[in-house]
Amino acid sequence: MESQTLTIGGMTCAACAGRIEKTVRKLEGVTTATVNLASEKLFIEYGEPQTLTSIKEAVIKIGYEVLEKPKGTAVTIPIGGMTCAACSQRVERALRKLEGIETVTVNLATEKASILYDPQRVRLSAIRETIEKAGYQALETSKTGAIDEDKLRKEREIKILWTKFVVAVSFGAPLLYIAMVPMIKVVNLPFPKTLAPMNFPFIYALVEVVLVIPIIIAGNRFYRVGFKNLIHRSPNMDSLIAVGTSAAVIYSFYNVWEIYQGNFLAVESLYFETAGVIIALILLGKSLEAVSKGRTSEAIKKLMGLAPKTAIIIEKGVEKEIPIDEVIPGDIIVVKPGTKIPVDGVVIDGQTAIDESMLTGESMPVDKKAGDKVYAATINSNGVIRFKAEKIGGDTALAQIIKLVEDAQGSKAPIAQMADIVSGYFVPIVCLIGILAGTAWFAAASTGLVALPAGKSVLEFSLTIFISVLVIACPCALGLATPTAIMVGTGKGAEHGILIKGGEALETTHKITTIVFDKTGTITEGKPKVTDIIIDNLEEANREDVLLRLVASVEKGSEHPLGQAIVQEAEARGLTLAPVTDFTALVGRGIEARIQAPHTLESHSQAPVTMLVGNKKLMDERRIPLGALTEESDRLAEEGKTPMFAALDGKIAGIVAVADVVKSSSKAAIEALHKMGIEVAMITGDNKKTAAAIAKQVGIDQVLSEVLPQDKSNEVKKLQEEGRKVAMVGDGINDAPALVQADIGVAIGSGTDVAMESADIVLMRSDLMDVPTAINLSKKTIRTIKQNLFWAFGYNVLGIPIAAGVLYLFGGPLLNPIFAAAAMSMSSVSVLTNALRLKRFKQA
Amino acid sequence: MKIGIVCILLSLLAVSCDNLDVVGKDSVASFEKVLSQTPQPVAPDEMNGGWSLSAPDNSARFIWSKNFAESPLHDVMLELDAAPFIKAGLDPEKLPEHYAFYEGKLMVGTKLGQEQLKYPGQVTPLASYQQIVKLKRSAVGYHGALDHYGINLGDGNLFEWAKDMTTNDKDIVFVLNPEPLIAAGLDPNGIEGWAFAKVTVDDADGKPVQVDKILKPFNLL
Repeated sequence: MESQTLTIGGMTCAACAGRIEKTVRKLEGVTTATVNLASEKLFIEYGEPQTLTSIKEAVIKIGYEVLEKPKGTAVTIPIGGMTCAACSQRVERALRKLEGIETVTVNLATEKASILYDPQRVRLSAIRETIEKAGYQALETSKTGAIDEDKLRKEREIKILWTKFVVAVSFGAPLLYIAMVPMIKVVNLPFPKTLAPMNFPFIYALVEVVLVIPIIIAGNRFYRVGFKNLIHRSPNMDSLIAVGTSAAVIYSFYNVWEIYQGNFLAVESLYFETAGVIIALILLGKSLEAVSKGRTSEAIKKLMGLAPKTAIIIEKGVEKEIPIDEVIPGDIIVVKPGTKIPVDGVVIDGQTAIDESMLTGESMPVDKKAGDKVYAATINSNGVIRFKAEKIGGDTALAQIIKLVEDAQGSKAPIAQMADIVSGYFVPIVCLIGILAGTAWFAAASTGLVALPAGKSVLEFSLTIFISVLVIACPCALGLATPTAIMVGTGKGAEHGILIKGGEALETTHKITTIVFDKTGTITEGKPKVTDIIIDNLEEANREDVLLRLVASVEKGSEHPLGQAIVQEAEARGLTLAPVTDFTALVGRGIEARIQAPHTLESHSQAPVTMLVGNKKLMDERRIPLGALTEESDRLAEEGKTPMFAALDGKIAGIVAVADVVKSSSKAAIEALHKMGIEVAMITGDNKKTAAAIAKQVGIDQVLSEVLPQDKSNEVKKLQEEGRKVAMVGDGINDAPALVQADIGVAIGSGTDVAMESADIVLMRSDLMDVPTAINLSKKTIRTIKQNLFWAFGYNVLGIPIAAGVLYLFGGPLLNPIFAAAAMSMSSVSVLTNALRLKRFKQA
Repeated sequence: MKIGIVCILLSLLAVSCDNLDVVGKDSVASFEKVLSQTPQPVAPDEMNGGWSLSAPDNSARFIWSKNFAESPLHDVMLELDAAPFIKAGLDPEKLPEHYAFYEGKLMVGTKLGQEQLKYPGQVTPLASYQQIVKLKRSAVGYHGALDHYGINLGDGNLFEWAKDMTTNDKDIVFVLNPEPLIAAGLDPNGIEGWAFAKVTVDDADGKPVQVDKILKPFNLL
């Protein structure tokens, strides 16, 4: 099974998207076909016997374009020194010999080499060197990447639409003027006498024809695609426009012929301006739509724009600036203060602070030293570092985030399915309503049941209604309602370091009633620290340090995080650890080892002693009396701390208590969730006392303690069985099953890759305040979607009856098709504008 | 580019087409039919230097010039029996300057030009009308409300004839603007043989407007 995302050109409304989905899904072997109208992307999953080519062919066959991204990187290098065809061939031959060159064409006339190459296999510098070696000069280079290509395509599309609109309005304005001025009695606007409709009807009609033709050419796409779709019995928005305006144009041409034949009154039945203005208005709507659609993906463009264009690598001991595409894993890269990290890697030399806010949303710079990871697009604040490139191109964290956001923006929310279903039936039903309304009014007016509007014939009257219904009922707004809001919502999330993996996640998040937080690493820092040292049998000065040194010496061999915390504390205090022998890890209880104790013990012995470090269970097993430490131990546990007993040669020496510190944002985040009416639970493997202590500190409603890692998902399931919509927030591998089980899995940025893979939402930083922010964002996005759908549906529910003449039936006005077109265009623009309001979203 | 070419081609087509003035062309044909259907033959009017088309009851004449350079008073005009107007209160002394009252006749009309008309063939009533269409096209119009062609005689006065006499019961109509006559004492509702009515006509800018007119229609068929 393979999956691909194709960029589709030529879609105008939800009906187009629906048609493509339907066509592709019908192909044998295709399991998924989802179209996002706003991002113009088709996501497919397919297997045998289908191939990508056959799917593309199927899309093209029904009248749409599959826009290919250039394979590899295209570059055009101006070449100096070529004098004849032999020179250009020589350059071509030399370049073709290079590995990684896909295609190369050298044009002697333009003195340019157009090259498509794989930057992973050959560097641009190598290409330039080859040209130089062949005896020519490789001059300044211009390069176009896939992202730029996409941007250029969209810019080109906007420009074309705008040009078409300008053409349409340039001819449409005079057309409307000469059509309307003879009818306007209130104001005396200037009008050429040679165009007086009654005196020179044929000239008047021909001028209208001359003016309408360029408009029709500007809007030719509506006719091309619209009629094609109509022939294939899947009409779309273009079909409505095409049929509506064609009816007006054909009827007008018939009247031009009538004028020529001597029926001069037919001059009053010309509707060229209706067709012209409808096309102009729809082109205006489409232009504004294209601009607004571009703005919905601004967040992703912003992310794409973060990556620097060049990197300084060290080659043969010399610094050399190369294009970012030429960096390969293993390159040693120098980053100077104030510049961006070009690719992901590991610091090998130098110290600095790096601003990672663009990836994590965290505003505080992060200190980096040798061995620390650095990420592409982050900004080096002060020091000079050298790092080894590890991940480049599409493998960098930035690229992964971009992909995640792009995938999310291309996905559909369940709420969109309703719009899709409606859109699928919408256009044919509208055609039917148009025909029925036109026919009904024709019959009613013919039999005298209704009075005709002044100056209109029965045919014109019913035709006006037919055109108005078709034009007003375009489902563009319906098709854009959901994807635009999702694009802006997920993009806004990405800006705040909240990666929402799809429309479904975005929609489900706003329904969450209960949030389960993992304790360690989520509510707490996940980095335990020594909080208390309690001495029992030690009498020396600096007794705390002595006990800490002994326990740390034994724990040195342990991998346990609590042990690591003790070792770190000893190191922080500058204590030298003692040698340890016979180390034994006692699973679930502690450690046993022999230690060369210094003159600090009760016995003052220099001989090795047996030391036990572990929980109460271990002490009980070895029958070591705890004395007063039992009470201390209980107190520490109630405070959420983990007491670790230390015993020397069978006698209790003291307790070293370790605790995981609660994150500064945890309490505020839980308060914010409570304000939203969400119940908050905590899940942990800790004992009840410790768990309860943490819960009390941060205000948790429900504590699920002593839960084994494998049982976390069952606990989530139990909550779901109570009818709750549950979100699970976690960071560890052991949280992954629970993240999957939950209705929404939220992985926090400090977590593991597995947790992030399993989650529906990834928080790039460890700040729990991002959880209420994510829920708030989801609520606002869904509210926007609902508003959009309401307006889109409401607009059609109101617009169609008005266009069908319901108001006229009760003595009201008849809707002019021109106003129908204006209203239709504005509906799409209003839906887009409403979606763009989400850009003002602020963090909780 | 394509749009420009199409526009140019269409413009050329339009310019090269001889029959763009369908109203002018068709008015000639229908005027010819009217000329052939008048009960009294159209005759030369030497005094006015043109041709005379009389109403079936001889109460009015439409006169049009053979040669603008030689017409003494008007190039297109109506000559009406003034008696019913005087009975209805018209004081000839109070008529505006360009209205003439002479030997019991009321004359209204306008000068179209001073050109010496040159005829390619014989000088006939129809050929003279064709000269008007050719040289003074703006004086000829189509009156959609009545399906008439008409010649503008100036000051709101008209002579109209049916585009299609077979479907129209008002084949020729003498039309007067009542305002100057009312100002000269006329009671527009009291003119024997004439009707005073509201009529939809195109104004100077080609916009349809409703105006009062004094009318005398005749059905020739």
